[in-house]
Amino acid sequence: MNIVTFTKRVPVTQEEELRITGDGAAVDLSKLPFKVNDWDNYAVEEAVRIVEKVGGSVTAVAMGDAESDEVLRRAIAMGAKDGFLVRIARAIQDPFARAALISNFIKNENVPFDVIFTGVQSEDDQFGSVGGILAALLKLPYSSMVIGIDKVESDHMVIRRELEGGLQERVRISLPCILSIQSGINEPRYVSIMGIRKASKVERKVFQGNAYEAGVGAMIDTVKWVYPPRKKGAMMLSGELDEVCKNLVGILKEKGVYQ
Amino acid sequence: MSYALVVAEVRRGVFEERNLDSFGLSSLLGKEIVLVVPDGPYSFNERLADTIVKVKAGEEVFLNPLNLVDIIEQVMNGRGKPDCIVFTHSSSGMESAPYVAGTFGLPVVTDVSAINKDEGVFYKSYYSDKIFGEFKCTGQGPWVLTVRSGSFKDAAAEKADAAKVEYIEGVAASDKRVFLEYVEEEKTEIDITKAEFLLSVGRGVGNKDEIPTYEELAGMLKATLSGSRPVIDKMWLPKPRQVGTSGKTVKPKVYLAMGISGAFQHIAGMKDSDCIIAINKDAGAPIFQYAHFGVIADMHKVRDKLKDMLKS
Ligand SMILES: Cc1cc2nc3c(=O)[nH]c(=O)nc-3n(C[C@H](O)[C@H](O)[C@H](O)COP(=O)(O)OP(=O)(O)OC[C@H]3O[C@@H](n4cnc5c(N)ncnc54)[C@H](O)[C@@H]3O)c2cc1C
Ligand SMILES: Nc1ncnc2c1ncn2[C@@H]1O[C@H](COP(=O)(O)O)[C@@H](O)[C@H]1O
Repeated sequence: MNIVTFTKRVPVTQEEELRITGDGAAVDLSKLPFKVNDWDNYAVEEAVRIVEKVGGSVTAVAMGDAESDEVLRRAIAMGAKDGFLVRIARAIQDPFARAALISNFIKNENVPFDVIFTGVQSEDDQFGSVGGILAALLKLPYSSMVIGIDKVESDHMVIRRELEGGLQERVRISLPCILSIQSGINEPRYVSIMGIRKASKVERKVFQGNAYEAGVGAMIDTVKWVYPPRKKGAMMLSGELDEVCKNLVGILKEKGVYQ
Repeated sequence: MSYALVVAEVRRGVFEERNLDSFGLSSLLGKEIVLVVPDGPYSFNERLADTIVKVKAGEEVFLNPLNLVDIIEQVMNGRGKPDCIVFTHSSSGMESAPYVAGTFGLPVVTDVSAINKDEGVFYKSYYSDKIFGEFKCTGQGPWVLTVRSGSFKDAAAEKADAAKVEYIEGVAASDKRVFLEYVEEEKTEIDITKAEFLLSVGRGVGNKDEIPTYEELAGMLKATLSGSRPVIDKMWLPKPRQVGTSGKTVKPKVYLAMGISGAFQHIAGMKDSDCIIAINKDAGAPIFQYAHFGVIADMHKVRDKLKDMLKS
């Protein structure tokens, strides 16, 4: 089983105040640390586990600037055989354009695969779209939100998709296919700095993204960044921790959940 | 004709309530609404659509993106292209919309939660709601959109006339992807939907070893411990304790969220709680927009202080 798995480098924004610059032209990410997209980490792990069981190999692919090599090394440290970096000068916002470029890359370079994994979504843009568009462009069956792979055969898989409220559906899908992997499908292995250092000895192939731009036009014209609309918001409890906690307990008593 | 094609989300005989957001967005855009839905005993307000196209296929066939592209093709046949094709931003819409966009070569924007009709722009969330992206809809349509649940439902408007009903007689169901069965979640003793007081921890809890200390705090407060998705994904708490769209929808008297940022999939599962208290060290965490009370602090320090106070 040859599995191609996509892995994207994303900024860590959870604890950061994000600033918009240039009158909406950009979001300042210059001071942020970066990491692997959480969903892609699960996808790489799932790919490696399948190959460990049934044989074959995992190829990790990242599209981005030279720094994206970092997530490829990480994937190799987890068990991927090799890593391809499709270099692009700047991030492509439109998921259609991104998927179209990836589709050209896969076709032009004859990248062999039985299955392609993506994550359910990128943490930064949250489009959740690249896998589905790519499947349509490559004319392959697709399933998103895969939370379990129950059976792997040479010509099909039996998977579980996550629906709402804890419900799942079991689906049979023919190979080759594209699956988007949901977080929680497995417990990704720990990757040590040593492991990543060792992985950097494995050669990563670099491809120039502009070679795959035929027919890749962005479908979304203008992007401007704005701060989200503010709601009424919370009443903030401030002061010394002591006082804050007293207030908290007071609220719990008033609401009748604590005596 | 200028119309919005609304693709219904139905699941196990239920016409999902979040379809109202698709109607609402289409109404705001001032479009005639063509609804496509499997033919079955679904109950919904048929007055919200101008035309209802009923597809003679089971819902599992309908919900399969490989079949849906054929269905949409049939709806467009004779009628012409819509201005937009609208899906719910859910397990089915998130799956089908990109596949439909890819198949027909259409622009797609997912998780749309606001529009400015006069300027012709859509807004979608980036970075877990810290920033919104604004998209001008000037490109060649139809636009494929998925709509965030709760964003537009109030704008869903009844039409003056009863909807016209049409039928699609059949679909060539793909054999490359086939529905087998539903798998239910295991039942457990603790049902977080019944709790009056939930203490809910998110990724901010840091690591597994901290979980017992929050169990302890929950015990002292007579609260039930629940969590956001990352905590369940990491198996620090069992799946039935997950709050959110893919977990449980809860409505306790008090929902005390510690180290949870407030992604919409989480908010959707707890926003109707009587009282929401959020503790987060990031003053810009979106959860403070939904909470009644907020504390900007390190959750561990609050935990320790609360424990000290409750002991004495
Ligand atoms: C299809 C789909 C379904 C999903 N379903 C669900 C669902 O059902 N439920 C759900 O919860 N999510 C769900 N998600 C995931 C959701 O999008 C978010 O990724 C998730 O809710 C984030 O969880 P979090 O807030 O705990 O983590 P993060 O977003 O990482 O936030 C952690 C927060 O903790 C704060 N923090 C860190 N350290 C401390 C500290 N010491 N003290 C105080 N605060 C601290 C940070 O400032 C941050 O705000 C779903 C996603 C998808 C795509
Ligand atoms: N620049 C990229 N490099 C590698 N993979 C990507 C990239 N963009 C998107 N993907 C893959 O597509 C998935 C969905 O992305 P998105 O549609 O942007 O939410 C991600 O989880 C990745 O697996």
